[in-house]
Amino acid sequence: MKNSIRQSWAVAKVAARSNLAYIGEVASRTFFLAVILFIFLKLWQATYRESASAVLGGLSLSQMLWYLTVTEAIYMSAPRLAQQIDEDVRSGALAVRLLKPISYPLYCLSSALGERIVRFLANFATGAAVTFCLVGPFDCTPAAPIMLLVTVLLAFVLDGLGHLIIGLWAFWLEDTSGLLLIYTRLSMILGGMLIPMELFPDWLKSFVLFLPFPYLVWGPAHLFVHSDWLQFGQLVGLQSLYILVMLGVVNLIYGWALERISAHGG
Amino acid sequence: MKPLKNAVETDNLRKVFEIKQGLLRRNAKTVVAVEGISLTVPAGQSVAFIGPNGAGKSTTIKMLTGILKPSSGTASVLGLDPWKQRSKLVHQIGAVFGQRSQLWLHLPPSDSFDLLAEIYGIPKNDYRKRKALLVERFDLGRFLSTPVRKLSLGERMRAEIAASLLHRPQLLLLDEPTIGVDVIARQNLRDLVCEWNREEGVTVFLTSHDTGDIESVADRVIVINHGRVVLDDSLSGVSANTLIEGKPAGLEEIIAHLFNSAASLTMQNCISPS
Repeated sequence: MKNSIRQSWAVAKVAARSNLAYIGEVASRTFFLAVILFIFLKLWQATYRESASAVLGGLSLSQMLWYLTVTEAIYMSAPRLAQQIDEDVRSGALAVRLLKPISYPLYCLSSALGERIVRFLANFATGAAVTFCLVGPFDCTPAAPIMLLVTVLLAFVLDGLGHLIIGLWAFWLEDTSGLLLIYTRLSMILGGMLIPMELFPDWLKSFVLFLPFPYLVWGPAHLFVHSDWLQFGQLVGLQSLYILVMLGVVNLIYGWALERISAHGG
Repeated sequence: MKPLKNAVETDNLRKVFEIKQGLLRRNAKTVVAVEGISLTVPAGQSVAFIGPNGAGKSTTIKMLTGILKPSSGTASVLGLDPWKQRSKLVHQIGAVFGQRSQLWLHLPPSDSFDLLAEIYGIPKNDYRKRKALLVERFDLGRFLSTPVRKLSLGERMRAEIAASLLHRPQLLLLDEPTIGVDVIARQNLRDLVCEWNREEGVTVFLTSHDTGDIESVADRVIVINHGRVVLDDSLSGVSANTLIEGKPAGLEEIIAHLFNSAASLTMQNCISPS
């Protein structure tokens, strides 16, 4: 266990450093984020005006834009984890990775985490600067950044496991891009990236809360604008529970995948 | 620890794959990839393990490294059962694949070395000494802090081999290590592998289509075709003892003949016309 944590930390650090080499890509993403936030501002300004309400789903226009800053920063930081596993399986590079004394899923997950943290920080810094210019400062509690950091990290682990599960299907499917498309769209819509869950119909909200998607995006962003220690505790608990469940699923699928290499070749 | 007599021992190693065909009615077809290979490679030997594409080389190597489970037969690599003790075995194996890199493209080799040291759990002091030795012997100093993407292929391959030796492996797997590398850099790589084989007694398992690699690095040549060993002799023995149609032949000619004709061998390694 101690070994795995040390290995994981080392891989994440190297991945983070390596991702800084893609400074052009990071810059283009952040520029795109600025454009998106400006469009969101215009859309939500019109929505608030039309509804003649200063608060929608418990959020003011300023809070709504800060909420979207967090959701966009999370969503746009997603690494190419599932595609990478897909490529490793199809190209045979997996055999090379299996010759290292580190679990393949752990390596992939750690590398994706390192990469994602760099992207998230860049996205959030740019998004916050743009949102500050558009709607002014956000009156957040001192606890809000801590809550955001902890829940975002857990969300990244949870999302990484989701990507791992999809990528590992490459052992059975020729191409996992279809599965990935469904997963990313579900996490975008049901995760509350575009619209906060507070604005979902009640039946949909109560259904979605049983799925892992809200805990990837909505949970951390909601806590950032509505800091509450009780909700923080609940979110961390639910994220940890889903992480445990998905770890079990990853282990199961990975075990089957290794058997499949043996039966059908790498 | 008792020194190992043999690095690799296999007995009648066989691998059969089942390939399912058809969309609705899944008919299973079996393909024999490796057909009863028995080998003994003494520790410290340099072996060229060659064969045409699809001969069963890569399946054999995957079985020896524990990635594939044999359908029947047994294998022992560095005294371990590769399938049951893979996590222990990978600590003692180094691997270089000419067409796949273990170095991070956008980072200097030094960063990849540091990461490998963590992955292999090399104690800090040992790692510092080992890295300094490898940097000096492989002449990596000039480009140790240059991102890998900016290195020439020869430089990159030097760094790849050095990286695979960081954890003092007892068995070094080299798969086409000189592919695409220029003549001078290629000779340089071969010399380095030979030096390491001599000085540290690391067993080298080389697969290459370049006879220059085989002649420079290997003590012994094993040719595999259609999943079977069709030639197993010392490097000097192959050229001295093998006749093609009654005439002596060079290594390249012998290998080409074996690849093309699935030739049969006699006791004197005479390859008769097929």
